[in-house]
Amino acid sequence: MFKLNLKIALRNLWRNRIITSINVGGLAIALAAFILVVMYFTYETSFDKTNPNYNNIYVVGRIYPDFKTNYTSPPFAKAIKQNFPEVENAGITKRGFFEFTMKNGKNTLFAKNFMQADYNAAKILDLKPTGGLEKPAGEVDRLSYLSEESMKVLYPNKTDNKPEMVGMGSSNSGITSKINGSIINNLHSNITFDGISIGNEIGQGENYGMNNYTTYIQVKPGTDVANLEQKITKLYRNELLKGETDQKTIEEIKSISTFLDPLSNQHLKPKAGNDAPYKILIALSVLGILILVIACINFTNLSIAQATKRAKEVGIKKVMGAYRFQLTTQFLAEIFIQCLFATVLALIVAELVLPYFNNLFQINLSVWHIDNDLIWQLPLILCLITLIAGIYPAIVLSGFKPALVLKGNFSTSKQSYWLRNSLLVFQFSIAVIFIIGLFIINSQLKYMRSEDLGFTANQVVYIKNQTLFNNPVKFGSLNFESVRDKILKIPGIKSATVATDVPDGAENGTNGYTFEGVQSSLDFVDVDFDYFETLDIKLKQGRFFSQSFSTDTANSAVINESAVAKYGMKNPVGKTIKGCNIDYKIVGVIKDFKAQGFESAVQPTIYTIKNPCGNYKTQIMLKIEENKMADALATLKAQWPQINPKDGQDFRYEFLDELYGKLFKKQEQLQSVFFAAALLTIFIAILGLFAFAKYITNGRIKEIAVRKILGASDIQIFKLINRSFLVMVLLANVISWPVAYILTKKWLETFAYRIDLPVLPFMSSALITILLTVITVSIQAKKAVKANPVDALKYE
Amino acid sequence: MIRIENLEKVYKTEEVETTALNGINLHVKAGEFVSIMGPSGCGKSTLLNVMGLLDKPESGSYKFIDTELLTLNDRERSNFRKRNMGFVFQNFNLIDELTVFENIELPLIYNKIPAGERKTLVNEIIERMNIVNRSGHFPQQLSGGQQQRVAVARALVTKPKLVLADEPTGNLDSSHGNEVMELLCELNETGTTIVMVTHSSHDASFSNRIINLKDGHVISEKINKSRNEELI
Repeated sequence: MFKLNLKIALRNLWRNRIITSINVGGLAIALAAFILVVMYFTYETSFDKTNPNYNNIYVVGRIYPDFKTNYTSPPFAKAIKQNFPEVENAGITKRGFFEFTMKNGKNTLFAKNFMQADYNAAKILDLKPTGGLEKPAGEVDRLSYLSEESMKVLYPNKTDNKPEMVGMGSSNSGITSKINGSIINNLHSNITFDGISIGNEIGQGENYGMNNYTTYIQVKPGTDVANLEQKITKLYRNELLKGETDQKTIEEIKSISTFLDPLSNQHLKPKAGNDAPYKILIALSVLGILILVIACINFTNLSIAQATKRAKEVGIKKVMGAYRFQLTTQFLAEIFIQCLFATVLALIVAELVLPYFNNLFQINLSVWHIDNDLIWQLPLILCLITLIAGIYPAIVLSGFKPALVLKGNFSTSKQSYWLRNSLLVFQFSIAVIFIIGLFIINSQLKYMRSEDLGFTANQVVYIKNQTLFNNPVKFGSLNFESVRDKILKIPGIKSATVATDVPDGAENGTNGYTFEGVQSSLDFVDVDFDYFETLDIKLKQGRFFSQSFSTDTANSAVINESAVAKYGMKNPVGKTIKGCNIDYKIVGVIKDFKAQGFESAVQPTIYTIKNPCGNYKTQIMLKIEENKMADALATLKAQWPQINPKDGQDFRYEFLDELYGKLFKKQEQLQSVFFAAALLTIFIAILGLFAFAKYITNGRIKEIAVRKILGASDIQIFKLINRSFLVMVLLANVISWPVAYILTKKWLETFAYRIDLPVLPFMSSALITILLTVITVSIQAKKAVKANPVDALKYE
Repeated sequence: MIRIENLEKVYKTEEVETTALNGINLHVKAGEFVSIMGPSGCGKSTLLNVMGLLDKPESGSYKFIDTELLTLNDRERSNFRKRNMGFVFQNFNLIDELTVFENIELPLIYNKIPAGERKTLVNEIIERMNIVNRSGHFPQQLSGGQQQRVAVARALVTKPKLVLADEPTGNLDSSHGNEVMELLCELNETGTTIVMVTHSSHDASFSNRIINLKDGHVISEKINKSRNEELI
């Protein structure tokens, strides 16, 4: 019987091969998208899952009344381990806070993140140096490892695992350091590094004020974590309160608590951090499911539309003694075969699209991977879509009454008519939402790219530098003047400056400043002469820093408009603002500029040359004439060791506009995703419409023939056939507009600087869908219109 | 073999109720060939559908030999039907996607006859129906008469006790129609009971007994003497 059913199925599919290929093709494309989403979802939710103690590891963080942080101090881990028996192990790690250079002959490695970890943390985090994790013993205080990739950069031909001595900094620095071997840097982990130094203990001698470390604890299985959290908070307060007498401080300490954040939360939704990646993942998953559902709807729709053709078969089989259950399974099996075929196609499509997908999300997924979760996910998906797409038609088809259908008294019931139409409306609604979304994302991005930033990033070159500059010079730093003089000698370079921060979206430091008795917190950026000129920032009042005023390196400050507004200053130039024990004289007010991109509002900021509380200035920026850019860069590269001898021979630079452009990356990703989704949903919906219109038109051939005989013109027939579809598409637009309005409005609200919600996308989406519908339906209608009416009636 | 008593069937739509069968009583003996005649809408096809267990009446009794059939559930009805009954329709109702051979094989498959035996049975009947050279063809490649032969072959292949025929010659010209009627007669002569619905008194003249229906009632019953004499 199976063989015979298979035959019927295959012959049926072949006879309706256009519809079949539309059905299978559409599903395959949607399924490919879904497979990618599933793979991405699996990847994103399984960071560190290979750690054998995955479920028992927690990060210990701190909660202040106004913020949460994962940074803790070294003694805390030890105290936790000593006090609570349910804590099996506790350790700390410290990120590398600046990039440094490592050399082996001509091979250079720029290690952005050379981490430190104590042995306990290394054990908890399942770090795997080649040859196994070793505890530093005896005189050896620390064991340093390079990630396998980093090791390859420095020692491309290394095959053994013997220790190596590497040069630190520039070749002439003479500093060397021992690397004990290589270590696996698991990119699918929250803990990644270029290199790591594992100590028996790290952060010795540091007290509870040094919150530069991350504390990991591993608890015994079955531990009551909420209870432990409370106990740890108590412990933390007690430790801080030791020897404290100041009542205000005591009160402050009592307001601090701690939290335990599972390792599984770290990648997507850390308690101290934002859960945007998690939200994006959820949004993406919903999107994947929607696309698949739409493709399944095509299946359901077409299968029911085909019902008339299959009704006779059902009737005959029932007369022959087939049970309803047998017929249901037969139809399900047919749909299963199509779904299976679609799945195979989908895998091929997914494999073809994967490079772009990987590139877009900066990951490295692969379909053909041995321990790929797809092995069990795929059959599950297959069964699921077979059920979603097939169960309703299977039940409808198998439920036909033979006495009716064999007499030809068959018409699709009203119920399924409504169902089919509502499914079509649903499909188009989703497509419309994506189209509107895409238009609005495009508009916002266009706005971001064209809007005045308040500074000019074009032709500004940012040079990566490790020399510390300060003016006036403090311990270990240099004055930038000599470097600037040498740089400005190169033709084409208009200005040069150094600062603590470049306007690339990074957050600035904050500190308290007092103006006319009002204390408030301001962002601070420590700059050097020509900072504003290099970035082409507009002056509102007063002046920029200038070498002709000797006081500028002592106590001059420039503030921005937001700072003026924050203090409610009137005529601020010449007035004094106090911070870090210096009475700064405000010499100028600049217009606000969007250093942090479009998502956050411009912060009230103070710019000073001297700031004892600030950081060292390392970020060099040059303004270079466009037509001399290439020459100037070549000269800089050649002369860099002489210009900036402490930085060494490595001249590395980036264009500031590209750096700033990275701020749009998230939006550009979203744009790509929406573009693909809009295209896919509209494509699948149109495919469904195409096939659906074909069936509807076929079903109305006799009606059309009669109308033609009675004198209907071609146009009238076109109108007749298009009308019901147009109503559905218009309905879809009306339904999706409020949804799209709410969603896009919410999205736009994440930007401090945004467009007003435009009306045009809503109109355009209606126009696009209507146009596509008319074209699609008319192609089908044309055949019916052009046919000779006599043929249709004779057939009848 | 068949005892139908007080059979009632009402079709209901949103607005009207139509009584299709109104207290029908009918007995059919084993080996009989009965024709049911009457104007359009008199309930002939409904009666045939009820007899074929394709439709359920509101009330009454339908005994086949000694089994009451109206109390059976869907599955039991399917089982009973496939073991005891064969159907011939006016519009042939062959499955377009299956060849002649496969169409005839279908009821055997539902009766769970092993493949080897199926092949023998199908080939036998194909030979008997004189459609051997058509066995690999699809229905749309055959003439109406040939299609009805296939349909008859399909009805007979399970050797049913009862064959129900719903205007079997309705879609055929007279020569093809006669062929089919002769086929049914031959069949009847081998002992198969036949109940046929027809509009044509010519077709009815092939049967032993003619029952006339009107508005859901049996209004007359006529023994077809010529045919009975022929048999004697």
